[in-house]
Amino acid sequence: MQDLPMWIKIVLAGTVVTYLWRMLGVVLISRLDPQGTMMLWIRAVATALVASLVMRLMILPSQMMSVTTLTNRLSALFIGLVVLFTIRRNTVIAVFSAVLALMLMAWLQQG
Amino acid sequence: MKYNGHTQSLRGTYDWGALPYGMRNAFSMAGLVMAASFLGFGALIRDLGVTLSAGVFSVAAIWALPGQVVFFSMVAHGATLPATALVVTLTAIRLLPMTLLVLARVRLRNAPRWPEFLLAHLTAVTLWVIAGRSMEKWPRERRLPCLVGTGLMLMALMSVMTVIGYMLADNLPRILSAGLVFLSPAFFLTSLFANASYRFDYAAVIFGGVLSPFAVMLFPDFDLLVSGLVGGTAAFWLFAPRRGRSH
Repeated sequence: MQDLPMWIKIVLAGTVVTYLWRMLGVVLISRLDPQGTMMLWIRAVATALVASLVMRLMILPSQMMSVTTLTNRLSALFIGLVVLFTIRRNTVIAVFSAVLALMLMAWLQQG
Repeated sequence: MKYNGHTQSLRGTYDWGALPYGMRNAFSMAGLVMAASFLGFGALIRDLGVTLSAGVFSVAAIWALPGQVVFFSMVAHGATLPATALVVTLTAIRLLPMTLLVLARVRLRNAPRWPEFLLAHLTAVTLWVIAGRSMEKWPRERRLPCLVGTGLMLMALMSVMTVIGYMLADNLPRILSAGLVFLSPAFFLTSLFANASYRFDYAAVIFGGVLSPFAVMLFPDFDLLVSGLVGGTAAFWLFAPRRGRSH
């Protein structure tokens, strides 16, 4: 099985097993009330899930982010949120503030 | 096509004239953030010794960055295909709620179902964020085509970014690469707060974030699922929605 061409591996162990969940979504949506309690609960779960994905990326950083410390990363996120709530919920400014804060902290530590 | 504001929700056909408008939405903050992530992905596959064509194929074939990263890092380290498939499918469970939430905003009840299967393949976190932000102003029959346009354009752009990342891999300063990788989590977190309207939305962000380190320690393979379900359900239960939106 290890000798299969790469594109077939991608389709079998990538596309099929990923699309499965999306397809289940299409099948289930016709049975749910889009304004109902169930959808709001799903929204809460999705929100918590993405928040924990963000936190996981902070505590288990990829190779490329490992020049920064956990404290750097968490403070940069905090700075981004402070900017978000101070400057009229502007996502663009908030995200760039967070990224610049992180790069600045990493640069100062390096120097 | 013209649309009649009074009958829009009863119509059973999508207005595909909205597709090019949706394509423009790809050139936005969300698209820029995604571009940075795919630049990182391109650099990563170069690092793992994956061919560029396989990397670009995976962009269109899988279209879920965590899954793509897991797939290539496992295959590169000699994992078996079934083991790889199992881990990839675990990272993809989050796409179920995403697809449900995106479709709930855009689908027409009496229309053919095939466009929903197409949109489902294009759905991931970024498209959910875009759908949450920009759909209200569109008439219902233009929403799905618009998002399909956004998704297809994002897919084309991200294929290009993967190629660029692959070629730049060795030449980016380390602090800049760290900043590029950090863009996505920063964007996701700010978007969650910016799009929050119910009290349980805020609670879900906080609970999910706080539970994450414990879930990573206790259930390393299912951590997202556990903290998502537990944090989201707790937030929803403790801060039961009241329909009057309050910021």
